Amino acid sequence: MPQTIATFSNVSYVYPRSDTPALRDISLEIPKGEFLGLIGPNGAGKTTLSLMFNGIVPQFYGGRFFGAVTVAGLDTLEHPISSLARHVGIVLENPETQITATSVENEVAFGLENLKVPRDEIRARIPRVLEAVRLEGMERRHPQELSGGQKQRLAIAAVLAARPSLLVLDEPTSQLDPVGAREVFDTILELNHTLGITIVIASHAAEELAECADRLLLLAAGEIVDEGPPDEVYAQVERLEELHIRLPDITRTFYFLRRRGFSVPELPVTLTQGLAAIRPLMTRCDPTPPEANPATVRRDGDPLISVTHLSHTYPNGTQALCDISLDIHRGEYVLITGQNGAGKSTLVRHFLRLLLPTAGEVTVDGEATPDLTTSALARCIGYVAQNPDVQIFSSTVEKEVTFALHHLGLSSDKIQTRCQESLAAMGLLAVADRHPLSLPRGERARVVIAAILALEPEAVILDEPTTGQDEQGARLILDLTKQLHSAGKTVIVITHHLHLMADYAERVVVMGERTLLRDAPIRVAFHEPNLLAKTYLAPPQAVRLAQAIAHETGVAMPFLTPMELARAFTKGTAAGNS
Amino acid sequence: MLSDSPSGQERTVTYVGGATIDGAPIAYVVVLAAVCTALAFIPFSVIVALGGSFPLSQAIFPLVGWILGPVAGAVASGIGALVGVFVAPHTAGIPVVRVAGAMVASFVAGTMRHQGQRGWWWLPTTVAGLVSLALFGGRAMVQNGVSLWAVAAGAFVDWSALLLYALPTRRVISKWLAGPSLGAVAAGLGLGTWIAAGMAHLVQSTIAYFIYNWAEDVWVMLIPVIPVENLLRCVVGVIVGTGVITGLRAIGLAEAREAVI
Repeated sequence: MPQTIATFSNVSYVYPRSDTPALRDISLEIPKGEFLGLIGPNGAGKTTLSLMFNGIVPQFYGGRFFGAVTVAGLDTLEHPISSLARHVGIVLENPETQITATSVENEVAFGLENLKVPRDEIRARIPRVLEAVRLEGMERRHPQELSGGQKQRLAIAAVLAARPSLLVLDEPTSQLDPVGAREVFDTILELNHTLGITIVIASHAAEELAECADRLLLLAAGEIVDEGPPDEVYAQVERLEELHIRLPDITRTFYFLRRRGFSVPELPVTLTQGLAAIRPLMTRCDPTPPEANPATVRRDGDPLISVTHLSHTYPNGTQALCDISLDIHRGEYVLITGQNGAGKSTLVRHFLRLLLPTAGEVTVDGEATPDLTTSALARCIGYVAQNPDVQIFSSTVEKEVTFALHHLGLSSDKIQTRCQESLAAMGLLAVADRHPLSLPRGERARVVIAAILALEPEAVILDEPTTGQDEQGARLILDLTKQLHSAGKTVIVITHHLHLMADYAERVVVMGERTLLRDAPIRVAFHEPNLLAKTYLAPPQAVRLAQAIAHETGVAMPFLTPMELARAFTKGTAAGNS
Repeated sequence: MLSDSPSGQERTVTYVGGATIDGAPIAYVVVLAAVCTALAFIPFSVIVALGGSFPLSQAIFPLVGWILGPVAGAVASGIGALVGVFVAPHTAGIPVVRVAGAMVASFVAGTMRHQGQRGWWWLPTTVAGLVSLALFGGRAMVQNGVSLWAVAAGAFVDWSALLLYALPTRRVISKWLAGPSLGAVAAGLGLGTWIAAGMAHLVQSTIAYFIYNWAEDVWVMLIPVIPVENLLRCVVGVIVGTGVITGLRAIGLAEAREAVI
């Protein structure tokens, strides 16, 4: 019988000023050395549960607490957070909330110094953990100079350095590029296997959880609704889709195949299992490549945004962009992707004159951005920043959405109409009177998007809009970008969540090494794994499965989604299928 | 009220140990001290006769007291003002006066309570204010021969603040600040800032007067200036305070133990 590191006994919790429990009747035992994944839609209680392990909930937040939580034998209500922190390391979703030092190495050292780790040991651990999270060489950098993903990796490094017996991570990879996310999972899996550190991780990264987790806990509305090994939990496809929980592409592919009448006794959840399961199908059925395989994206007229030999160097000497040339035409849907720190956000800030070129030129509608005012550009291009909180300042959601409209000289009726339309499109009508900061991060992001949409700009730029969103929130945003695109708007999305973009983007701009690596139709770019790898990206799992099939059959299979892939297999051609 | 009872037994929630000052987490104190320092860079009025200018941070010292309580609030404001003296010397004035004023404003604000064990803290604070007023006005009239009307008019902000503080006004303000109505919160911030900043001004003036002993001409010139300056503090306090209080309530951040809001 393995020892338990943490026990929850009939735990319920109600936040201050709330009548609804954030968690209800949670009973749970976590054995030492387990890798436990927490899944569930936004608002399910994953973060609240994560914060209970070191007593932050309820000691810091207050509220009403029922039942008992013990970690390493300590009751979390009776022991100070500082004592619990010796056993529990926690990485939060937003790294800004836990970075305090003025250099990367000092940030890693800070926790160790507080735990009285000897100086030499601290010096030995810093390079090891920085290498693990790919921040080596940045020891002297100020954390504020790092990109969002780099900050997240630094927060993880600082916690890893303390080698806690229980490591709790709340959406630690939501801001990371795919390779970065993979490396984080690999790192914590190694810590789990080699050092026996117990891992509890709340995440929407279904594919990584399927490979790494020993057990998944499915939370919904504050309650545990299911638990078990990943292959058992992810096998309940309808239920998970009902709860808007992301499934591994592989599982969805085989689920669609099963629905098309193919015999799939057990739904695979990992790529390895998927490859093993697809081979018997291929012996009985020849997959058909897709009909449409455009090699180019249609572009008409003069470009809306034109970038010519753009370079940008920040005042501290960091070169962020080097000789980039790019045209974006009206009505295009462009995905800009690349590793954390590749310069994606820096590039689009030039479109809005938030940054000026060090060399080269950026024009919007034929005029160079230095000749345009930021307000004039803001009317033409709506920009949703990576961190929604930097764009929120009003006391209600409705005021936030109408703020800029009041400055456009519109009538009250017009303002109300646009506001209601935007709120409805973003699913925010029910929270129109709420303070934006009282909403979860995913909804705060949608508030900002609603405010931008209300301005009806010609082009919309969304910088990492799906970060922190569950499947439903991400699809809501991306479906809206599709509607905008259909209405003739230019849409530019920055993200490294490539699996989400297959149904939306037409063209992909791949950035890396401070320059433009590739500018191609999505069906071409997603099937160039070596190019994507150069900028720490990885194709979606469905694409990797399609490439494996192409490798076996010798026929190009430029599929992008599980549904496309499943449709390639036609029952009629399958001899002997039951 | 919960619609149906959870199965677990309800437990008493307390903050066990940890780094706090009078029940306020150190992180809160540090953040608000930093805000005070940042606002020290912004001048909002000139200092007649001495030169330099008042820092805008004076408008939020009371707010700091309401958020953190009297002791932690005074510490945060004091640290913020002290650092501000060095990094923003154009608003430093007389450093000791600047720091003392910051601490008094937050302390006075933090002692405006309508409930709790510290309900009596107003009494020694009022006595200290009366002593300060006696020293200030008495020295002006007795030693420097300033007329009573000039002292009464010139110290209007000081004695009106002290009077409003000694009366049950402070309890009403505390109720307004803790209540759900945003209008009442704004009113509480305005009136409360008048009182807290006014009493801080009283202490600052007492110290400064013992150094400079300004003549009746200066008293007369300051009569219209000082109330306007205090009113400006109130306006800024209301604008910043309502945003901060609604924001804090929205995010559900844990309150400091001795917080008034």
